[in-house]
Amino acid sequence: MSDTEVLQVVEATVESTDVELVEEDLLVEDVSIDGMCGVY
Amino acid sequence: MLSLHPQVSVRPEPFGALLYHFGTRRLSFLKDRRLLDVVQRLDGSTSVEDALTAVPEKERPAFRRALSTLEETGMLA
Repeated sequence: MSDTEVLQVVEATVESTDVELVEEDLLVEDVSIDGMCGVY
Repeated sequence: MLSLHPQVSVRPEPFGALLYHFGTRRLSFLKDRRLLDVVQRLDGSTSVEDALTAVPEKERPAFRRALSTLEETGMLA
């Protein structure tokens, strides 16, 4: 899977999945995708 | 001096940019396009303050916090 394909999958998953918000800043939102079973 | 970690992929987005770290599997959403400009100026030889010259002084604290967050999460090294 190419980098672009991985990012497309990850982005689609983030939009549709409740993920743990690790840290939030005014300008940066950081999330971990560990535990997203079935993403790949 | 900071620069993007070599395992980080950057994709500009309408809202700012998406960073993905292939080593840590973390995602960072940059919610301001100017922050992407700052990050891209950090090439390992440019200081944070030099990279922030285009950002208005009153907004720089928030940008510094954002860069610290990116460093803590390994996006910048």
